[in-house]
Amino acid sequence: MHHIDKDRPSAEWISSLRQRYTVEKEIDHILTRKLERRSGPGYSPIPLTTLVDSLHALLLANIGDRFEIKHARWLSGGASKLQMAFSLEWNRPGIGFEQTAMVLRMEPAESIVETSRLREFQLIKACDGVVPVPHVFWCDAEAKFLPYPAMVYAFAPGVTKPSDTSSGVSGLGTHLAKNVRDRLAPQFVAHLAAIHLFDYSKAELSAFDQPTIGTTQCAELGLNAWDRIWDEDSDEQVPLMRVASAWLRRNMPVLDRASIVHSDYRTGNFLFTEHDLQISAWLDWELGRIGDRHQDLAWTTSHAFGHKDEDGTFLVCGLMPEADFFAEYTRISGLSVCSKTVHWYKVYNSYSIAMLTLATGYRIARNGKTHQDVLVTWLIGIGYMILDEIRTLIEMEN
Amino acid sequence: MQMRPDIQITSVIKAMTDVVIPAIDPANKLAVEQSQLIIGLLSLLKFQLPIQFRFDLDELGRLCTSATALSQIASTDANTRSTLNELANSSNTAAQVLDQFQRDPAELIHHIRTLRQDMSNVVDAAAASTDIQAQLQAEKLILSMSKEQLVRDRALVKMQGWEMTPGDIPEIEALLK
Repeated sequence: MHHIDKDRPSAEWISSLRQRYTVEKEIDHILTRKLERRSGPGYSPIPLTTLVDSLHALLLANIGDRFEIKHARWLSGGASKLQMAFSLEWNRPGIGFEQTAMVLRMEPAESIVETSRLREFQLIKACDGVVPVPHVFWCDAEAKFLPYPAMVYAFAPGVTKPSDTSSGVSGLGTHLAKNVRDRLAPQFVAHLAAIHLFDYSKAELSAFDQPTIGTTQCAELGLNAWDRIWDEDSDEQVPLMRVASAWLRRNMPVLDRASIVHSDYRTGNFLFTEHDLQISAWLDWELGRIGDRHQDLAWTTSHAFGHKDEDGTFLVCGLMPEADFFAEYTRISGLSVCSKTVHWYKVYNSYSIAMLTLATGYRIARNGKTHQDVLVTWLIGIGYMILDEIRTLIEMEN
Repeated sequence: MQMRPDIQITSVIKAMTDVVIPAIDPANKLAVEQSQLIIGLLSLLKFQLPIQFRFDLDELGRLCTSATALSQIASTDANTRSTLNELANSSNTAAQVLDQFQRDPAELIHHIRTLRQDMSNVVDAAAASTDIQAQLQAEKLILSMSKEQLVRDRALVKMQGWEMTPGDIPEIEALLK
């Protein structure tokens, strides 16, 4: 077999991948850009002052020269993007002079999950008023001003976990006390229902392709993207991943209703204010798409994101028993839940996580492409548990 | 297994160089010096790991040759003759081991990767064909093989703490032949 140097991809190989896999237009754009830049330099630490200067240029182009950036500082959290908090003193349209707390969210040279800032920007903007989200301000989708593609949004108050509790990386394994989960769980379900019921037809979502209802196109577009990413990033081949791909293609579900899908809807990705236990913002929309609500339902109920309560009952995202979650979701949304489709998306979601950890995580750490290669290397280890989950899910269905 | 020492060492060096060392107080001379030594030792480890086995083989070969020559020495001293006999015996045993280890461990990894790739190609080809029976048969075999392999993969990284019930995963030493 002809050896392909994935660290220095040729134009012919990139072109062949683009032809082999039909994906959404913007997804094709960012994956192609990733490969075209791969042989370039890795990520080098960016001084805060450099980032502030770049941000200054972005703001100058958008709001003129009457502003001041203050209190710039790094934010931690998350495995994929760099985040800088700052305050902007400016004359805010419709409001007047104010100091606004903001966050700059920027990609590294390559990310454990290569996504579009434009899509994330559009999606958060579309969902403003549907569920709590940070207000988005500006997007530098092609890195005209910032070192890498970036967006700016309002700093949202709140925490991802109670101050007196601990969790693993990316908020995984967060344990919530009963009084906290009793207050958060109803909001958690209601927000998911609201996202899925949202009529997005009038929203500016030009970076998204609309899948055709009554066909398997939605599932196929998603699967094509992940299969392409596996080809682009994997080092060691995993036969089980090929079995999973074949199984997913053989069993693709028909889309009954197109919804906004968050794609990473779980504890750790929302903020809540501790004094009143209200969810204040849903974050990390980067994998969001117009798709099948079952993708979110399967993701949210993954055992990787939950834990057992004091009586040994498994809690979805550490919040509520699975049966209660589905019953409440169905009651609030009025939408049906097809267990067979949930099962398909459980395999699909696990397939994507295995891919991000075993293939993309390895590739970007090997090439020194991120600000936290040591974290993405650490995450490679979870891939084997996820692979075993894929195997179990497929055997369950066969 | 993708989680190999080479990628772990590479990412730890980058974290030390880009993040940890710049954050060390320059006045803390001990921390500054030891952080540089950590980078040095990790870099040495990264260099040594792929050639360590060949290095040891190379040394054993030279030791065997010299030991054979040394054991030929005729001595009038009983104690020296005894040590020469012991040397001759250990040299013979070592030579047999040397004969059995003439392959580079990199070859082993190469063949693992080749078989993984070729098995995947079979799955892909069957999936793209109309031969459903072949497809299902291939998938069944891969699922069965994966079950056995994945328990070992999970055991090898168990200390990272991903498992919800780690007690269900045996210790890796108990699983290896």
